[in-house]
Amino acid sequence: MNVLLAVLVVGLGSLLFRAVPLVGAHRLPVRLAEAAGFAGLAVIAAVTVRSVLHHQDGSIAGAPLVGALAVGVGLLLAFRGRSVPVAVGVGLASYLLVVAALTSLH
Amino acid sequence: MTERLAPEALGRTGSPGAGQLHAGIRAMAPILLAYAPFALVVGASVAASTDPWAAWAGTWLVYGGAAHLALLDVLAHGGGWMAAAAVGLLVNARLTAYAAAMAPAWRSEPMWRRIAAAVMLTDAPWALARDRARNAPSYYFGAAITLFAAWPAMVTAGALVGSRISATPVTDLVTPLTLGAVVVPQLRQRPVAAAMAAGGVTAVVTWQADTGTALLLAGSVGAACGMLAERAR
Repeated sequence: MNVLLAVLVVGLGSLLFRAVPLVGAHRLPVRLAEAAGFAGLAVIAAVTVRSVLHHQDGSIAGAPLVGALAVGVGLLLAFRGRSVPVAVGVGLASYLLVVAALTSLH
Repeated sequence: MTERLAPEALGRTGSPGAGQLHAGIRAMAPILLAYAPFALVVGASVAASTDPWAAWAGTWLVYGGAAHLALLDVLAHGGGWMAAAAVGLLVNARLTAYAAAMAPAWRSEPMWRRIAAAVMLTDAPWALARDRARNAPSYYFGAAITLFAAWPAMVTAGALVGSRISATPVTDLVTPLTLGAVVVPQLRQRPVAAAMAAGGVTAVVTWQADTGTALLLAGSVGAACGMLAERAR
């Protein structure tokens, strides 16, 4: 029952989070919508940074640093106009290469 | 004034809306691969729940992997439903910012389309459609419908086999790398760069805080910095 209650409350709350601004789209000031756009992008940046900071890999020391390097390579490619799959693929490949190099050193 | 559309913007029906719908589907399709490891982790958590059917229902109802996972994690560690709900709501609060940012482009859409858009709203479709002022609703629908159809299937697969898959550490980086790659080209706009830099710095400062609180702070600081940079232009 606990699981069902929690899922229903979060489901209903999340629907309100999503729907209220869109249902009332006519009344929403443009400046507020603009600020919300910046907030959304900042949240995505924060999600990316937090994932790197919390990254764990038992096979190497300094996993967040290696994660940051790999994500940095991928994002640089995306910034320079490569497609998302290419950026993600190269980012992940960089991570695996660095991990392989570090483990072979030990 | 009539604007000409590039041939690739038109679908087989010749309608700009259909072309954009297909473009949204094509943009989201490769991103599904990036979501798959995360969905398997959520699915494994659903299977391990004390009430797997109720937990599985969250795939549709919560429709946000991070919030869903956080909610199940609190319950798995003996937290009550209120604590679990509070954590889940905090993580999903960012959706309000996404919906508010979409509002200007959706004002002329019928109510049923706005409600359908809201039901399917999450990070990737929003980020993909953000930079498309023209025909954004059709493009958004293409991306959002694709994820909305695939996500429950991937979580269900995770619930069936996820516990047997030993996740490799590199899979943790797939989702953030994908989301980052979708939005990073927008860094060429100075206010966007200010907002994203502020969000990133806030994430570093609050890295030990819980996810929901950290994201709310990052969103607030990012909105303020983005607006300040916009005003300074």
